[in-house]
Amino acid sequence: MTAIPKRKRIRYNRAETRAAWLCLLPSVIGLTCITYLPMIASFALSLFSWNGLGDMKFVGLDNYVRLFTRDTKFYGSLLTTLEYAGISVIGSIVYSMIIAMLLNRKVPARGFFRAVFYLPYVLPALAVYLGWKWLYDYNHGLFNYLIKLNGGTSVKFLDSSGMVTPSLAMIAVWLSGNLIVIFLAGLQNVPRTYHEAAEIDGANAWQRFWNITIPCMTPIIFYNLLMSLVSNLQVITPALSLTQGGPGTGSYFMCFMLYTQAFKSHKYGYGSAIAVILFVLIAIFTGILFATSKGWIFYEGDDKE
Amino acid sequence: MKKLLAIVLCLAMLLPVLAMAEGDGRVHITYSFWGNQTEADSVQQALDAYNEMQDKVFVEPMQIPNEQYTETLVNYAIADQLPDCGMVNENSVLYFARNGVMADVSDMYAGEELQPMECITFKDGDTPVGYSSSNEILILYYNKDMFDAANEPYPSADTPYTWDEFVEVAKRLTFDEAGKHPGEDGFNPEKIVQYGAFVNNWTWQMEVWALSNGGAWFSEDGKECLINSPEAIESIQKVADLALVEHVAPLNVIPEDNGVGVGIGSKTVAMTTDGTWRLGTDFPNLGINYGIAPLPMMKEEVTICTSGLTGVFKGKHQQEAYDFVKWYTREESNWDALVLTGIWLPKSEYFYKTEEGINEWLGNEKYPYNKDMETGRKVLVDYTMNYAKPTCWYFTPNTQVTTNEILFTALQSVWSGERTAEEVINEIYPELCEAIVVE
Repeated sequence: MTAIPKRKRIRYNRAETRAAWLCLLPSVIGLTCITYLPMIASFALSLFSWNGLGDMKFVGLDNYVRLFTRDTKFYGSLLTTLEYAGISVIGSIVYSMIIAMLLNRKVPARGFFRAVFYLPYVLPALAVYLGWKWLYDYNHGLFNYLIKLNGGTSVKFLDSSGMVTPSLAMIAVWLSGNLIVIFLAGLQNVPRTYHEAAEIDGANAWQRFWNITIPCMTPIIFYNLLMSLVSNLQVITPALSLTQGGPGTGSYFMCFMLYTQAFKSHKYGYGSAIAVILFVLIAIFTGILFATSKGWIFYEGDDKE
Repeated sequence: MKKLLAIVLCLAMLLPVLAMAEGDGRVHITYSFWGNQTEADSVQQALDAYNEMQDKVFVEPMQIPNEQYTETLVNYAIADQLPDCGMVNENSVLYFARNGVMADVSDMYAGEELQPMECITFKDGDTPVGYSSSNEILILYYNKDMFDAANEPYPSADTPYTWDEFVEVAKRLTFDEAGKHPGEDGFNPEKIVQYGAFVNNWTWQMEVWALSNGGAWFSEDGKECLINSPEAIESIQKVADLALVEHVAPLNVIPEDNGVGVGIGSKTVAMTTDGTWRLGTDFPNLGINYGIAPLPMMKEEVTICTSGLTGVFKGKHQQEAYDFVKWYTREESNWDALVLTGIWLPKSEYFYKTEEGINEWLGNEKYPYNKDMETGRKVLVDYTMNYAKPTCWYFTPNTQVTTNEILFTALQSVWSGERTAEEVINEIYPELCEAIVVE
């Protein structure tokens, strides 16, 4: 057994170090001032009662206690956020995987279709939501028009607390063009030799998909899952532009609750407490994903089974 | 050479700062407002007129988007950078006043000939803290062509519909694809082509129905929450039932005030309730044959008045801002742009109580409802004078929490028919009571 040679620490000269620090400086300053300091401030603020204009009053954990024991909308908001994130994450991963696989085949006008499916992602959010509002509208919407045309009864897509969360999550699924692009890139990296070998061995399309494509794609799936989970737990735009939080707590997402409490009702401490809880929630889910990732992610060159 | 270039460039960056310095010897004050480009233009016109009139003060406009208006002002206040004066959203007036941000304007109209109406005076307890820049009341609008087509007499300007009459008329004006009306055999609520009525269910506008039904949302001293009274609860349910039970109104779960534009403007709804500003902001562009009438009444004849306020903020140029606001909020200063266009009803009693005053605006041929002055007089003048009560934000603190947050979200479940008004109001009642307590 040969000894592994010790890695030599590379020494940079002072000018190089200085240049490196100078290049890093803007992002360090940006991150510190725009992300880390406000995060700390927000945590500190969550221990106070403050209406923005008056004096700040230290209340300890009162804001948290109130949230968990007396707020009639908090648990509804929590469940709504989880439901929305669940549906939109799973929905968009499955949807974009399917679309990516279709686009990966040699279909005619492939470039055109790739653009078509990516387009929603680059459209202005407000325009997209207003368009969907017209589709979902109870009185004059296109979906309900088609349903009634076929003799059905109108569906309250955005107008019932049960339907509104999945209806909004559907829009998120439709918007997941960025995931499609990442999946496509991943699919193109799945070695063809594996597929060819499997084909020779007599594996059918499903077996090849399940035993070759999926395992090779797991790092990409993990990345997409993580990004999509984090962004969907922080959802606020559909509530702001379409439903204003209701009906019930059907679209009262935590981010929307935070925004309303802090900036509309001027309860800055209370809003900060919600922000801290949302942060913890996202941290827990990210932690779970990372903790389980070792078990299901397959890296080429790994000697794992 | 490089260093010299760097220094020159740095100095060049300072130039705009120097240019901003107040070099004309006048005190520069800032006036903040929200609105679209048309409104921005009319504000600029007024400011130009003021700036031209005198040589000591120069007023600069600061336009802030409506959606973030109050938040932005609060942020400025935290940074001690508030404008000197500006529009304040009705639901935030008492919030700003109670937190000591607004200057005392209680003597602004002392000894003046033009006195603002009591109805549009914001009060903290008994102390006036501000006056709305105009008056607006809620009224009933209807599309005359749609009434004619149904052979239905127009709503009276003298005697308002009772609620039952309103529902009955609305039924006659509602029909499905087969021409059937609600209550008739074979009527299909899924295939309604034309609705009879739309009651604007924007949360703050709902207060009028509690008053109309003999109840109230809050006590007149703003200290007690009365919204759980049977009258107040019933009034909410009655409005919701227009769509849910009677099928005479379109469902409007996420309240949008589209009764005028989408409703009677495009002939999908025959009557709608809304504010008087629509006379100026919407109807001139709709080009429809419309009429106005008092609101239907549940038990008592009543409407509510409201309008934004132009406030003076505390600061070193407080006096200059005070003088400007006093000038700016006179009807005369906004006569052509806001009063004669129909966007504002005048705020001073003179324009309601004297013949000359009434003739000045309602009798002016430029005024949108000049065509039928008799009706205009009954619905805009007499109705304001005899039946208008202030909206709760004139006397109740924290309406940005009570009406805009708690009630807004909760009532959506009533509009959708998932829960009754009684269930919802009883659930949020403790929260509402807590919200109006001022620490």
